[in-house]
Amino acid sequence: MSGTEAVRGTGAVRGTGTAHSTGLRAWVARRLLLGAGQTVAVVLLVFALTEALPGDAAVALAGDQPDPARIAAIREALHLDRPAHERLAAWAAGLLHGDLGTSLTSGRPVATYLAGGFGPTVLLAALTVALLIPVSVGLGVLAARREGRLADRLISSATLGVYAVPEFALGVLLVTVFALRLGWLPPTAVGYGTDLLAHPAALVLPVLVLLARPVCSLARLVRAGMIDALASPYVAQARRYGIAGARVRYTHALPNALAPAAQQLARTIDWLLCGVIVVEALFVIPGLGTVLMNAVAERDIPVIQGLAVVFGLTAVVLNLGADLVARRFTPRAAVAA
Amino acid sequence: MTPRTSTARRRPGRFALALLITAVPLLIALLGPLLAGEPGPRAASFTLGGGHWAGTDFVGRDVWRQVLLGGRTVVLTALAATALAYAVSLPLGLISALTHRGWLEELLMRPLDVLLAVPSLLLILLAAAVFSPGTTGLALLVALVNIPDAARIIRATAAEAAARSAVEALRMQGETWWRMAVGYVGRSALRTLAADAGTRLTGVLYLVATAAFLGVGVAPDAADWAVMVDRNRTGLFVQPWAVVLPAVLIVALTMGANLLFDAALTGPGRRRTPLREPSPVRKETRP
Repeated sequence: MSGTEAVRGTGAVRGTGTAHSTGLRAWVARRLLLGAGQTVAVVLLVFALTEALPGDAAVALAGDQPDPARIAAIREALHLDRPAHERLAAWAAGLLHGDLGTSLTSGRPVATYLAGGFGPTVLLAALTVALLIPVSVGLGVLAARREGRLADRLISSATLGVYAVPEFALGVLLVTVFALRLGWLPPTAVGYGTDLLAHPAALVLPVLVLLARPVCSLARLVRAGMIDALASPYVAQARRYGIAGARVRYTHALPNALAPAAQQLARTIDWLLCGVIVVEALFVIPGLGTVLMNAVAERDIPVIQGLAVVFGLTAVVLNLGADLVARRFTPRAAVAA
Repeated sequence: MTPRTSTARRRPGRFALALLITAVPLLIALLGPLLAGEPGPRAASFTLGGGHWAGTDFVGRDVWRQVLLGGRTVVLTALAATALAYAVSLPLGLISALTHRGWLEELLMRPLDVLLAVPSLLLILLAAAVFSPGTTGLALLVALVNIPDAARIIRATAAEAAARSAVEALRMQGETWWRMAVGYVGRSALRTLAADAGTRLTGVLYLVATAAFLGVGVAPDAADWAVMVDRNRTGLFVQPWAVVLPAVLIVALTMGANLLFDAALTGPGRRRTPLREPSPVRKETRP
């Protein structure tokens, strides 16, 4: 992911003493334990929330179509006649075998829903992450090099402003300008099916909207870190030795400037997972977010549970990865755990 | 937290601009319902003109009137959720920072660490699928997902203040726990809390608006800027104003709030000190 090259760059810096590495090992063990705890918590939380329906769950879920046959079908499908702990055990055991249950509304296995929405969502996420690192590091380094000048003031104000704007409002305005007024790009992905890669024009606005917030936050951190690093004695010393400016910037200053940005990656992941749901709803992209929103609208509990577990576990694993990467950058600063 | 940059000086121009950007949507949100007046007769959907200068929406209501009515829920829900999040996380953070019982701190903070990993919008959507919450429910949910992060920051700030020798002196003087916690530790943590409150409020505004856009905690025809953007999207090509007006107001509100907090909280005396001297960490990592 993001930090691999940079990790290699700072690899030599890491302490190699035995005391240090055992400390690191203990930290990694603690962090993995926390990750395992979070995994269990996600599964329990998803089960508790979706099973906590007030009153008779089957009647509540039938909602607008309260005919007895449907209520009976729901009771049957969710095994509501069995006690909650048995249902949790059965569901968790199913999860371990990759069996996520079947949909209440269509009777199809939840896994087929996941498989259907997987492609577009992963494509969106991969494109966003692939662009996120170079764009935010580039903007941050550019602003730091021009500190206090026009380019820096423009980048700083723009990133600070866009940082807090919800994706849907930004996206709808971009659609109005680029699809409606200028007619350059399609307003939604309607009619392109799941093979979005064949229609790159439909991907431009979604990826742009998805990038906006993470880029702003990471670029600001890279800029701040870079300004600190460029003012530090080791950079001054490197300059005194006559090392070329670009080399000082990218091999000496940048790795240290990336440390706070790597820690922010975990937060960014939370935004990306939320952003994907919004962007898919906004641009009508048939990915996992759309599947989730449809299931929420239909109160299709097994599909919601399956998707929530997938989203939740993705967040846990990526958080874990981000913490490990951040720890590589700043071995002294304890991250989480 | 938003990083505060080292060059952010208090520029009067920047502050005034941020204030202006925030004031427009804020005034419309708070005073709009007083100016909206009685609902007129419904016209055809997505039309322009005919006495409606901003056109009509998806059910033929006057868009300008909906805009005047639709900001209050966003702003008030966000304020309530932020206040609620602090009402819970302040005591949590202070107690776990000041207690000498390790198990109590673990008991209070570990569950929050676990919750921290769950994406906030996912938790809100899950709860919404089951409970169909109203505006109050949405405020509670948004507050809930903000508690882990807020409590962690408060605990870290308060623990730093509580480790100072002044607290030790207070303890030896036999001061009450309350005076130490609120009078000294709470007060020393105030600046960090102010900065955190600013970023938290913008984050909460984002979540409240996004949840409403996805249909959580609001009626499908509610007078709410986020709901307006969602419901009027189908008529974007016929009547863009019904989408553009509320979207611009939401962008101005969130953008302005963030600029305003940044301008207010990074004054000349509060500049982050640039690292002229190497910190111990840097010295170690780059010999």
